[in-house]
Amino acid sequence: MPKTFFRDFIGLEVKETKYQKLHVFSKILIPLSLSFSILFVKDVFSALILVFTSLFLCKIAGIPLGFIKKYLVIIISLTSFISLSFMLFTSMPGNVVFFEYTLVEIRAEKGVAEWKITISDASLNATMVFVSRIFAMVLSAVLLLGSVSDRELIWGLRSIGVPYGACLSIALFFKGLQLFVSDFYTVRDAMVIRGVDLDRMSLASKFKLYVNALIPLLTLLITRSYEISLALESRGISPSSKVPTRYHVPEFRLCDFAAIALSLAIAMFFYFCPSLWG
Amino acid sequence: MNVIEVENVWWTYKGREEPVLKNVNLRVEKGEFLGIMGPSSVGKTTLCLTFTGIIPQRVPGLFKGNVRVLGLDVKEIDVTELTRRVGVVFEDPESQFIMSTVEDELVIGLEPLNLSREEIRDRILWALDLVGLDKSFLNRSPLQLSGGEKQRVAIAAMLAKEPEILVLDEPTSDLDPLGKEEVLNVIKRIRDELDITIVVVEHESEILAELADRLVLLYDGKVVLEGSPKEFFSEVPKLISIGVYPPQITQLFYQLGRNSPPITLSEALKYEVLKLKKAVMEARPIKGVGDIIVECRNVSFSYEEDKFALKNVNLKIRLGEYIGLVGPNGSGKTTLAKIIAGLLKPSKGIVYINGKRIEEYDKLTLSSLVGYVFQNPDHQLFNQTVWDEVAFGLKLRGLSGDELESRVRRTLEIVGLQELAEEHPFFLSKGEKRRLALASILALEPKVLIVDEPTTGQDRGFSYRILSLLNDMRNRGITVIVITHSIPQLVKYADRLIVLKNGVVLADGNPREILADGSLVEEAKLTVPQVSVFMQKLGVSPIPLTVEEALNILE
Repeated sequence: MPKTFFRDFIGLEVKETKYQKLHVFSKILIPLSLSFSILFVKDVFSALILVFTSLFLCKIAGIPLGFIKKYLVIIISLTSFISLSFMLFTSMPGNVVFFEYTLVEIRAEKGVAEWKITISDASLNATMVFVSRIFAMVLSAVLLLGSVSDRELIWGLRSIGVPYGACLSIALFFKGLQLFVSDFYTVRDAMVIRGVDLDRMSLASKFKLYVNALIPLLTLLITRSYEISLALESRGISPSSKVPTRYHVPEFRLCDFAAIALSLAIAMFFYFCPSLWG
Repeated sequence: MNVIEVENVWWTYKGREEPVLKNVNLRVEKGEFLGIMGPSSVGKTTLCLTFTGIIPQRVPGLFKGNVRVLGLDVKEIDVTELTRRVGVVFEDPESQFIMSTVEDELVIGLEPLNLSREEIRDRILWALDLVGLDKSFLNRSPLQLSGGEKQRVAIAAMLAKEPEILVLDEPTSDLDPLGKEEVLNVIKRIRDELDITIVVVEHESEILAELADRLVLLYDGKVVLEGSPKEFFSEVPKLISIGVYPPQITQLFYQLGRNSPPITLSEALKYEVLKLKKAVMEARPIKGVGDIIVECRNVSFSYEEDKFALKNVNLKIRLGEYIGLVGPNGSGKTTLAKIIAGLLKPSKGIVYINGKRIEEYDKLTLSSLVGYVFQNPDHQLFNQTVWDEVAFGLKLRGLSGDELESRVRRTLEIVGLQELAEEHPFFLSKGEKRRLALASILALEPKVLIVDEPTTGQDRGFSYRILSLLNDMRNRGITVIVITHSIPQLVKYADRLIVLKNGVVLADGNPREILADGSLVEEAKLTVPQVSVFMQKLGVSPIPLTVEEALNILE
């Protein structure tokens, strides 16, 4: 099973596919081109093509998308909020109005101020485009995190000339992130064991408690930073270290050139597609 | 030839008034195996850091004196240059790992050495082989290895650089007995096969008695005792008075009035035939055991589908018991404890607390009945003062005014922190933090107190003090459950051991019977007190568990 960020952070196992064997540069470029394309997408049709392209790429990367079910509540809430915002706060009459209701109407000498709920073809269209763009953005992030590991990222960055110190900082960032998350859960358990019931707490009390949680988290951060820096120094590693040898030299193969071409093609397609279907 | 020369060294960390090292003088010869002992926080790690130049060059503070390592002055030599020739392995292997695979962990230290890729590969495989790990470990994440494997990877990362001096700072103190055994075998192999000087900081005297050529005792920032292991450990009263415990076998023979007491088991067995005063050990009376407070019926738990961390655990725990929850790492000890504390819900089975199903309690009531003290006190302290920390749980329960004040004061007195009530927990010592974490739970007056590995990484003196404090809690009627690997210290107080392995209860009963069962001890990799092993070899049954018990039956 390939090592990926998903495996490290949420324990998601990704299938071994040809996509996973690409050079890290290619694996970064493809989701990057998808994210870039989001900027060019303006209509429902191209937005849906972008979503399906992202889904297809996730599929060939061997990422089991079933895990998204867990986040369905968040996705549905987000979609609902977007839909409501287009209906409640943006007046888009469009060509066909399906439903209209005036919530507030203020008549003054200089005119009438209205706050309306308008469900029209234009508002539905805007909602669909927006939701599809967000969904495509999520999928491109899934593609990146489900195909790249911290290890690959570091060796890959070094292979394209990023300085050793910067790569080391990235490695430490990921290590720190993992430790921070695990510490947070332990601190939360330590609060629960003293009788804190987070489910029944008001938002204000919860906030106050989480601010308190920063004390142990920062304490641990300081202690760990000191321990890690000692460990690094004692191994003769520092950001300014001169590193003449590169042990891992990821191979750039023909399929990587094809992947780069595909990335460019994706971005070009979505840049020009609005003109293709008007 | 001396490879390390420390002359009149003083070191004060920036921001502190008291020096950590006070006129330390020390010499280490090439090829020597030196052991450094001393209670916690006396400057052992600080001294080791001077061997690499990290102190005084990288850590801010005031340095006086001279340290020459391999003929180089640590004040002047480039730290990176020196760390290529001196390898240091620290206590916690996890804090030393940066990369996500074992291979990369070794590579990162070798790439700056200007070696070819083939040489790097050869050195990686050689170092892994030396610590008993094979190629299959290359792509594994260091964080998913067992404790012993992690520490062996950390040692391999140092050995791959082919250092002339290897410094091991408490390399076994975070490990379970199996991990300890693995690491000790590696240290023995390095000592026997490589031409290398080894310096080991260690609390376990039994280990150093067997391995070291010479020992030094660091106390209050000074070297206060130095000599061969035999000379060193014969100073029994001096060592114990400062919290360093010689091997139990040495203590036993010393108490029996023998001159030049043996320091290892094999030496003791050759020593002389001891006469037994009494043929049979008197059973230790079990103190005031009351009603059932915790009951687990067919409890199973899985973190992942089909991978059970606990399988069909059945237990009855009574009020006033002092229980040791023991077994190798990953055996399910912490999972079981967290289920009893209500932090995890069992996948199958039922847990009763005080006769009522655990899920029927709200969090506040359950936490008043079952207290859980975490292994690392830093996770548990989230208030601005020591006083607030103890008062936190009480305030949640609506206590205020005089009642709150008297409960907090009483609890602080029990753990001896009353003088530090207004101090910020961040500024307490490690031992004080542990006592505060305990106090924050004790204030809630739970009926069951679960303490997760209170002795890990602590010196023996502290371990005995904390276990004795928990014994006081038991004497007040509280059920104490201690998760630990320090069985030799625990058995002084515990009257029951629950042995877990692979999520199954292997044994549950009297420590004397459990520790006398050789096959069980081997299977669960339990550490039997040295004095018990010795007496068992002499044919004594039931076995004594402490030096005091052994003295009672010997002439």
